[in-house]
Amino acid sequence: MVELTSSFMLDYETLDRDHQRLADIVNLIVGAIDGDEGEKCEDLVIDFVKSAKAHFAKEEALLAKVGFPNVKRHHDHHESLNFKMEHLIEFAKNAGDNKLARDSLRKELVFFLMDDIITADMDFKNFIEKKSNAEKT
Amino acid sequence: MKGLHVIGVSHAYGNNKVLNNVSLMIPAGELVCLLGPSGSGKTTLLRLAAGLERLQQGEILINDEVVANAKMHLPPEHRGIGLMFQEYALFPHLSIIDNVTFGLDGQPKDKAHRRAMEMLDQVGMTAYAESYPHMLSGGQQQRIALARALAPEPKLLLLDEPYSGLDTNLRGQIREDTLSVLKASGVATVMVTHDPEEAMFMADRIKILGNNGRILQAGRPHDIYYHPQHEFVAKLFGLMNRFESVVKDGHVDIPLGRIPAKGLENGRKVAVLVRPEGVTLTSNGGAKSAAGAPLEVVSTHLLGHDNIVRVALTADNVPASERDVYVRIHHTFEPELSQQITAGIDPEYAFIFPTDEEGESTGTGNRLLSVSQPEAAE
Ligand SMILES: Nc1ncnc2c1ncn2[C@@H]1O[C@H](COP(=O)(O)OP(=O)(O)O)[C@@H](O)[C@H]1O
Ligand SMILES: [Fe+2]
Ligand SMILES: [Fe+2]
Ligand SMILES: [Mg+2]
Repeated sequence: MVELTSSFMLDYETLDRDHQRLADIVNLIVGAIDGDEGEKCEDLVIDFVKSAKAHFAKEEALLAKVGFPNVKRHHDHHESLNFKMEHLIEFAKNAGDNKLARDSLRKELVFFLMDDIITADMDFKNFIEKKSNAEKT
Repeated sequence: MKGLHVIGVSHAYGNNKVLNNVSLMIPAGELVCLLGPSGSGKTTLLRLAAGLERLQQGEILINDEVVANAKMHLPPEHRGIGLMFQEYALFPHLSIIDNVTFGLDGQPKDKAHRRAMEMLDQVGMTAYAESYPHMLSGGQQQRIALARALAPEPKLLLLDEPYSGLDTNLRGQIREDTLSVLKASGVATVMVTHDPEEAMFMADRIKILGNNGRILQAGRPHDIYYHPQHEFVAKLFGLMNRFESVVKDGHVDIPLGRIPAKGLENGRKVAVLVRPEGVTLTSNGGAKSAAGAPLEVVSTHLLGHDNIVRVALTADNVPASERDVYVRIHHTFEPELSQQITAGIDPEYAFIFPTDEEGESTGTGNRLLSVSQPEAAE
């Protein structure tokens, strides 16, 4: 199970809430895999991908608004995740009757969430922290 | 989450900035390769994780426990880490069993001995328990080093170019042995290497560290190979044919053919990189054919089951710098025996990168989809 401890918080509420929601879906998917309900994975992964894409758009808009200098790079990073999401859906479609697909899905999904989504956002954590502190004072 | 988390780590030696906001995660049970050129900061990152170097900026967690941040520094011996660094070679004056028992000094003697023997068994070296390091081959020493690192059941195993001292023949076998031992142990492992093939073979996931101390790309070996996001990454894996062009009408023309420039605006300068297996050779049996780039075979080299064929494109309009092309083909095809051969391109192995003013590529590579191609001759 994935748990977002404080180290992974951006301390920016809307984004952290999104990340938590994505983590919740991942946990549902991992739960489905472990509970031998692989056939549930497809709908959940589609929901996950949709939520992730919506989150990326929101996050990029916010980064642009606060003037994060590397918005383009972060946008490119999000773009580069498209094919990985296609793979996740592909694994999920086969998760019902294919153990390898289930195993790959679990592994890739956790990497995807923790590494590609959440850890990658640490790129702007410092910037956004300074911004929100400056706004408070 | 169990495993290693590196969050926003930057590090400098004096004015020399070697790591630049690096973040990565290695879950328990996974082997992640950190791949990068010499001097890119790989060893520094491992030393930081191990606690051998003091963290300057960022945070490091092992199994959800903060081991280093701005305020604290857990010493190496309390981090539960197994190390296989070159400078952590076997102790020459200790027997093999004593080498493996070395890290178990907090345990009762008989228990430590049992554990050490168990580890020697796992790496298939029990017969050498009473031998000394100099009596073993390089590969055997490597297995002992692995047994020693794993004996205390570390939470995390850090390997720094563990095979660089071994000759190529030995390396393959050792890699396989190591992999099966690591898989059985279920420990989170970071392996540093500058050898892309090694990373491809060993890793569940590869992280590419670029010269600027940033992670350039992370993914499954398959993703890194088929979806390189930077020219730098694409070039890591062996020979590449490189062409320069400009996007026109949504396409890019290179001497080998036309490919769609998915998502890139017209007028954009691009580099097109084509793997040797992405160049298709077609034998026309003497008949003149309009399709494909005419060429001459310069030389062929047998490489495993394949030939690497060097050809020269002969059309007048090919720039001198783009005439030489490397092609990988199945070795049953003997191009020098064919009368007329032309070259085409398999888009699966071609990558487009926008280039900036200096001709160095930036941004995201597009994997090219669906271009109809004549089949390569077998
Ligand atoms: N102890 C040190 N003091 C000063 N500079 C160092 C030290 N260790 C490494 N460096 C420098 O930091 C850079 C990265 O080194 P390193 O982490 O060993 O890279 P890699 O393992 O990828 O080859 C190099 O330029 C190296 O010269
Ligand atoms: Fe995010
Ligand atoms: Fe993001
Ligand atoms: Mg090094």
